[in-house]
Amino acid sequence: MAETKRKTRDEGRRERSKIGSDGEVLGQDLYEYEEGVPEEESKKNRRFDPVDNLDYELPEDFEDENVSSDDDNEVKNAGVIEAEDEVKEEDEGRTIREIPSELLKIVSFANSECSYIKQCNFRVHTVISRGRRNNVVVSEAYPESEYNPTRDILEGEGALSIRDLLDPLQGKHGYSKLRKSVRTLEKKSAPIQAPLPKPVQERLERNAAYDKSKEELRKWEPIIKRNREAPTIYFDDDRDLGPSSVGTIASEFEPRTEFEKKIASLVYDDEVMDAHRKDGSRLRLELNKVSAEDEKDRQNRIAKMRSLLFRHELKSKHIKNIKSKTYHRLLKKDKLKANSILGQMDPEAAKELAMKQEYERAKERMTLRHKGSSKWAKRIKERGVDVQDDGTRAAIAEQQHLHAQLTRKMNSMKDSDTSSDDISEDDDMDVNSDDEGRASKLLEKAKEKTLKLLDEDNEVPNSGVLNLPFMERAFKRKNEAAAEEAKLALQEYESWSKQLGDSGGVNNPKVGSPSGRMVFDGKEAPVSSKKTKSDNKNRSDNYYGDSDSEDDMEPRENTDVGKYRNNDLMKDANTSPVLCQEDSENHKDSLVKNFDGSVQDPGPQTTHEVSIFASGTWRRLFQMKNGSDANANAKKSPGPLQSVVLDQHTQEPVKDLDEDSDADSEGQMVDGVLSAVPEPSYQLPSQEELIRQAFAADNVEDEFKKTKEDILNEENPEPEKPVLLPGWGQWTNVQKKKGIPSYMQKEHESAKKKREEAIKQRKDANLKHVIISEKPPNKKAQKLFTQSLPYPFTSKEIFEQSIRMPLGPEFNPASTVGALNRPEVIKKPGVIIKPIEFEEVNAYEKLEGHRKTEQNHQKNNKSKSNSHSRKNMTYMKTK
Amino acid sequence: MKVKVISRSTDEHTKERSQDLQHSNPEKAVEYVRALNAAKLDKIFARPFVGAMDGHIDAISCMAKNPNHLTGIFSGSMDGDIRLWDLASRRTVHQFPGHQGAVRGLAVSTDGHVLVSCGTDCSVRLWSVPISTAMELDVSSDKSVEPLETYVWKHAFRSVDHQWNFDRFATGGAGVEIWNHNRSAPEQSFEWGTDTVISVRFNPGQPDILATSASDRSIALYDLRMGKPAAKLIMATKTNSICWNPMEPINFTAANEDCNCYSFDSRKLNEAKCVHKDHVSAVMDIDYSPTGREFVTGSYDRTVRIFQYNGGHSREFIIQRECKGCFVSSSAVMLVMLFLGVMTLILGCGRLKHPNNWEFFFQEKRKRHEYHEAVKNRYKHLPEVKRIVRHRHLPKPIYKAAELRRTMTEAERRKEEKRKAHSAPGSITSKPLRKRRIVKVEE
Repeated sequence: MAETKRKTRDEGRRERSKIGSDGEVLGQDLYEYEEGVPEEESKKNRRFDPVDNLDYELPEDFEDENVSSDDDNEVKNAGVIEAEDEVKEEDEGRTIREIPSELLKIVSFANSECSYIKQCNFRVHTVISRGRRNNVVVSEAYPESEYNPTRDILEGEGALSIRDLLDPLQGKHGYSKLRKSVRTLEKKSAPIQAPLPKPVQERLERNAAYDKSKEELRKWEPIIKRNREAPTIYFDDDRDLGPSSVGTIASEFEPRTEFEKKIASLVYDDEVMDAHRKDGSRLRLELNKVSAEDEKDRQNRIAKMRSLLFRHELKSKHIKNIKSKTYHRLLKKDKLKANSILGQMDPEAAKELAMKQEYERAKERMTLRHKGSSKWAKRIKERGVDVQDDGTRAAIAEQQHLHAQLTRKMNSMKDSDTSSDDISEDDDMDVNSDDEGRASKLLEKAKEKTLKLLDEDNEVPNSGVLNLPFMERAFKRKNEAAAEEAKLALQEYESWSKQLGDSGGVNNPKVGSPSGRMVFDGKEAPVSSKKTKSDNKNRSDNYYGDSDSEDDMEPRENTDVGKYRNNDLMKDANTSPVLCQEDSENHKDSLVKNFDGSVQDPGPQTTHEVSIFASGTWRRLFQMKNGSDANANAKKSPGPLQSVVLDQHTQEPVKDLDEDSDADSEGQMVDGVLSAVPEPSYQLPSQEELIRQAFAADNVEDEFKKTKEDILNEENPEPEKPVLLPGWGQWTNVQKKKGIPSYMQKEHESAKKKREEAIKQRKDANLKHVIISEKPPNKKAQKLFTQSLPYPFTSKEIFEQSIRMPLGPEFNPASTVGALNRPEVIKKPGVIIKPIEFEEVNAYEKLEGHRKTEQNHQKNNKSKSNSHSRKNMTYMKTK
Repeated sequence: MKVKVISRSTDEHTKERSQDLQHSNPEKAVEYVRALNAAKLDKIFARPFVGAMDGHIDAISCMAKNPNHLTGIFSGSMDGDIRLWDLASRRTVHQFPGHQGAVRGLAVSTDGHVLVSCGTDCSVRLWSVPISTAMELDVSSDKSVEPLETYVWKHAFRSVDHQWNFDRFATGGAGVEIWNHNRSAPEQSFEWGTDTVISVRFNPGQPDILATSASDRSIALYDLRMGKPAAKLIMATKTNSICWNPMEPINFTAANEDCNCYSFDSRKLNEAKCVHKDHVSAVMDIDYSPTGREFVTGSYDRTVRIFQYNGGHSREFIIQRECKGCFVSSSAVMLVMLFLGVMTLILGCGRLKHPNNWEFFFQEKRKRHEYHEAVKNRYKHLPEVKRIVRHRHLPKPIYKAAELRRTMTEAERRKEEKRKAHSAPGSITSKPLRKRRIVKVEE
């Protein structure tokens, strides 16, 4: 019996293991490697010796009925089952051994306890199923008896069935139910599993729980992803961080102290509140009862206040009126100014005003209050002004100043008076003479003025910038030009006067004077000299061919002078200032010689201002006379000035060129404006010459050499010469003799050698026209670069791109600065940050979400999961 | 005659000069200098230590911050004293006497009204938190309160944590118990393994999930909805404290005895997401900043460090020279940590910065500050800026310990490399650091 039992168990095990392996295969991955049948066993090609299978083999057509019953469970958790095989085996054995006792139990207790039977149901069933499975193999080892029923009894007609056991229970409570359940059990004999061992069960439960919670946590993924990818996350809800207005503060106010409570009781009185709520008239009329005494008191108080105010006002007015002297002086000035403006507007009023002023001035002059004749002033003078304090001194000074002003005014008045007298005289004369006479007079005057201007302003400032050679030269040239201009003007005057003379009276004493040697003085000499000079310069035949009488008068005297001058001029173009001065002196001397000593030489020393003045006078003159001529002259007058300036510019760069050509060009240019003289023919120089001239100053090779040397010096600097500190080692004579110590000299020499070697080793040492820079990389610039690629970046380009655009407000428009500089996390001080709450995030609206976070500061529209219906997970909007 | 022509030679105008490199992008040079200055100024004005508050007569063993009140902070000490501090005035506002032994855990309900404390006297006490105002400050120090409830249980407690938004709290001791405010016995109790639970933390984002660490070197997850433990992970060394990321409910960070912190994704426990290493001794405690971007750790080496949630190395560190013992160390650490946690709320930035936080109320100053930060962040890779930003003067013992650790790990690495080189290819595989310290994941 034992043996057979073991056998069956063996069998069962094999079966189960087979099932198990099947189950495993089913439960595991389909792709898992499955070991095939070994080649020996497959008996392929009879290459292996046939070996008898000595083990017990099941028949081919063997079928296990229980496969289906066990399968469900086993397939489900195949892995577990296999591991737990041993346990199960034992379990099973136990159940088998227990069968008879269980049966007996059922039989014995069937009558008494239906409920117990109900509980036992499944056990009975298992017994049956096990019995059925084992029936084939059971063999009798013990003699048949009441306690050991034979196979016939068990299987045959006499066999005991559940129904037999149940029959006696008929009519008892719960019998029908029991029978029904038994019947269903018989019909669909589905097996019921023994409960799993506790550790296994717990493990399964844990697994399930973990899976469930994992699934639950998955919902956070999109939110977390969004937050991590967002450039900035915001934790600043729009929340009130305190009372924002006075109203809110006031509304929350609660009276605490005695006083506050008192006030509150009055303010929040029902009547008052009521009146407030209405139109408030009652508040003003009925509730506002004041006693007569109070009112009197109030009025008194107010009266007192008003009187105080009035006094204060008066006082302030008085104070306002007190003003300083300077204030009044300025006021006076302003008034005067206003009056003058008024005078311009309204002549009559101005006249009146002038009269008034005149009167006042006359009065002042009469009294001479400011002359220092007052008692006070005299006393101060007696004591000495130096002894006085500053205030008095200032007062005295002011008086003196005023006096000076007044007297000066008188002088100027005198001048004007005289001039007006002159005019009147002229007028008187003009009464007699005709228009022509007046014109001639005017011309005469103009001439006089021009000459005067030519004469004066000879002094050249000998200091500052004007003393520089080129300035002097320019100065001179200007003078000459101006003088020439003046001369021309004079000439013109003369011609006009001549015309006048021709047409009118010839014996006009003033106009007729320039004719003849006798009259050749002061006024005429410069004109002629100028004339000759210009003529010489022009090299025109005007000089000889001129038929004008004035010109005829001094040809002989002036020729040599003119030549001399011409030479002078040519020299002037490029000579030192000293020479220039000498020239002018010579010139003067010669002139003096030539013109009988009485002649003043105005020529080259006149300033350019002369010309300006001259032109000014012309203009005035011709405006008076005839417009067209005046215009022409006015046009002419700036001419020489410009030419002078041009000359000055052209003069300097032309140093290397021929003197002659220089002088020529100058002359031409000057003349080009002054007089329309035909230009000499000009030939184009050859191309070579042109180039040579153009690049005359450029020495490219030398420059390159120099720059290379500089660079060499910079990159391999020359060692400094050994120098002792002044006073160092010179305490005694002995030390003095020693000089620079030898080690210093050695060092210096070695440094020199080093440098030379370094220069020799340079790559461009033998390349004459090349500089190859060998200086070390710029340390300052090096700071802006990293040695290696920093961690999160994978390529150099991306890294450089990331730090390319600047962030600052200077380099970006104001609209983008904020976005560029926004920190990763934005918090608001004083706001408590709550842990995250779940909200639905649409994974497909990723971009929009980003935009939203960037723009609207992402108002957290969080939905909060409802607390009690967790499984359904309904969401409520909280905000 | 002389010809004058306007001409520019390319040689002259393309010659490289010394300033050229800077002139090519002057704004970069300018901003670099600004970044450098900002880094220096940060160093100059950094004042990490905000203040110390004294009053406890025994070592502090645990702390809790009030989630609904910015300046309220609770501390429990080994002599059973619990105090409520006002951070603004740095004074004790309230005291909660009653515990017979050491207080080992404190937690505050989400609304900030109920304080839960537990200790070695096997009792859990609930206290009502007074609403502290400036008016009451002077009176309150001697005003003592009775606990709302006292629940006595079978074993001593090591830690407690309150669930977010609900009335439940969890205690850790010989097992894990879930309590309700209104019930004298725990609602649920979990047991998985026999060792003491050291720390308990609820997930603030997903309030039904609970993580614990135990003295059997394990980290366990529990799901209250199933009433079942979910997963367990056993590491090579003990995890002293654990903290969930408040903004990323799937992630938590464990402060381990092996000087490192490990950030885990609670769904994949077989490897850490990130290993944060810089401490030279056991990490005792950890807390996340409310923004979830940084966390702060306290270690037995007497330092407090701030880490990025995804950074391998610490960003800042503070040292407490006076503290020596484990408790003192960890509590001091907690103190500063919470300080920082709160400072982040007040200052609006979790940095160790100069404390004149009022400047953040002014638009201009804030703008300038933001610009400086941005510039500094941009040029942090450049050598000079990097040097200044990263430089921390470590005390000698810590510096030496760090060096020792480095040499040890280097030696280990070399040995492994050699072993690999001298054995058949593929026979020896090395695990990454993220997996190396994980012994197994239990189901």
